[in-house]
Amino acid sequence: MKLEEIRSRIDKIDRELLVILQERMGLALRSSKFKQSISDPEREKSILAKIERMNLDLIEGSFSRQLLQTIITESKRLQKEDRPLVAFQGEQGAYGEVAARRLVPEGAYIPCMEFIDVFRGVEDGSLDLGVVPVENSLEGAVTQVNELLTTTRLKVIGEAKVPVNHCLLATEDTDYREIRMVYSHPQALAQCRGFLTRNKLEPRPFYDTAGAAKMIARENLKAAAAIASALSAELYNLEIIKERIEDGPSNSTRFLLLSREANAAGGNKTSIIFATSHTAGSLYGVLRLFAEADINLTRIASMPLRSEPSNYSFFLDFEGSESDEKIAVVLEKMEKLTISMKNLGTYPADAASR
Amino acid sequence: MKNLKLASREPGKRTIIDIDGVTVGSGLVVIAGPCSVESEEQMLESAHAVKQAGANMLRGGAFKPRTSPYAFQGLGLNGLRILEKAKKETGLPIVTEVIDPRDVSWIAEFADVLQIGTRNMQNFALLKEVGKSGRPVLLKRGMYSTLAEWLNCAEYILSEGNPNVILCERGIRTFEKYTRNTLDLSAVPAIKELTHLPIIIDPTHSTGRLSLIEPMSLAAVAAGCDGLIVEVHAKPEEALCDADQALTPAMFTRLMDRALPLHSFLKSTKVL
Repeated sequence: MKLEEIRSRIDKIDRELLVILQERMGLALRSSKFKQSISDPEREKSILAKIERMNLDLIEGSFSRQLLQTIITESKRLQKEDRPLVAFQGEQGAYGEVAARRLVPEGAYIPCMEFIDVFRGVEDGSLDLGVVPVENSLEGAVTQVNELLTTTRLKVIGEAKVPVNHCLLATEDTDYREIRMVYSHPQALAQCRGFLTRNKLEPRPFYDTAGAAKMIARENLKAAAAIASALSAELYNLEIIKERIEDGPSNSTRFLLLSREANAAGGNKTSIIFATSHTAGSLYGVLRLFAEADINLTRIASMPLRSEPSNYSFFLDFEGSESDEKIAVVLEKMEKLTISMKNLGTYPADAASR
Repeated sequence: MKNLKLASREPGKRTIIDIDGVTVGSGLVVIAGPCSVESEEQMLESAHAVKQAGANMLRGGAFKPRTSPYAFQGLGLNGLRILEKAKKETGLPIVTEVIDPRDVSWIAEFADVLQIGTRNMQNFALLKEVGKSGRPVLLKRGMYSTLAEWLNCAEYILSEGNPNVILCERGIRTFEKYTRNTLDLSAVPAIKELTHLPIIIDPTHSTGRLSLIEPMSLAAVAAGCDGLIVEVHAKPEEALCDADQALTPAMFTRLMDRALPLHSFLKSTKVL
């Protein structure tokens, strides 16, 4: 092995160590939701004992003990900070995390595999808040999330419209002229098709945009790049070769902030979901209430009910607070005109989305 | 010049190119900026200065063809990022040189106009590549080239399906040593007789003398050129290349204050 190659492998391992540590710290924060006190001497003792039983000739027992002790101390410090745990779907660096950071600047951002993990985690109290995408300006509704919204007990307490700014990312020592393969989520690859074609780059589908960035960083891949957010570049120490590589006008995704409690401070926007019976004019009857009360609707979408495919749920966002009298009156009248009705809550509208 | 299928003049036809809102070929367009991108601070300062003075587009090299391999070669990709930022701040479209066919598609992602320098005028592989880039091309005249050779090079770009070629006269080598090159101003009317493509003048490299830049710019305007490309540096004494021929922002402002009224006057009196 040449020195250069050895160094490149060392760099790769150092990156991996940090990415793995980040994951460990996230898990430690989650574990604190299950215990009374941060300090657990028994558990610490057993961790250290287990580590020492590993017989690695280059890792002295005293060194591994010291290393682990440092990690445990740092993890306890993090737990003491008591930051709200904000869940999002995807790998660290996903657009969901971009939204989470905007909505809750002081949070600890916890990646989840699936949208349902975000909902269940917040519902059962193991996570404090959740951030989920409801609609994208190009692709339309995120059906999985909308469906989960119909059944959840959670309240919407905020929204953020996040511009999807795709960046081409590579490790620092990659020569852009040597890049051949580009990894990303198929949707991101599709949105950047023109850029890839112009530069003769081969698209490689990957499960997630941020996941692709993470993989490039961990594997220290040369001749390869990822399409992901600028945040991913920061998190995985990748170089942004080019920002805004999407073909069309930039698209944006609207995210909702979910909590077990309604937003105590109220807001100027409200979201509801309802279903009407299969009779002529029943939907019109509902919408008429809003028109007559002069309430501006900002979104109306329908989705078939999974449980009864012949029936639809309607998603309605409108301006104003549920505590406004005219809105309270409309919501009360709606109860009689619908077969099911759910108020997701009032929250401050994202100024950028108006 | 019978072999020019696309470049040769057709009655009534003049190529007019829209570059992100700036029109080349129907008025006087001024491209200004430093020889090369040296740092973000230097580039942004120069960009704001030329914008203030009324320039329409920004120049700056990220990849430099230098006579010596040991001279400053340019900032490369970082230079392109700085140019992108300068455009974001000033709104001026970016003109930058390409010297390597492998870089063309990448530079086209950042720049609005790809410049082919005098030393690369007959680099046919490069010409074909910029012909495919989809970006307008600023084709400088080779310092030893005839008009026919120059137009054949434009033909290379046009034949790849890129109709947007801007010709740039930047001086040719003669026996005269006082000036860096000899500005061939007759190229302006001659080119207009031979082709429908727009032609601009580079008074900086053609004279290589600060004192001659303004008079030759005015002469070029009077000859009917479609634009000027001028080197301007916020602090010429600190420039990493061509320090002794870059105008200060004040000198450039003076040039603009004379060239623009002269152009309007010649238009209003139907000389142009």
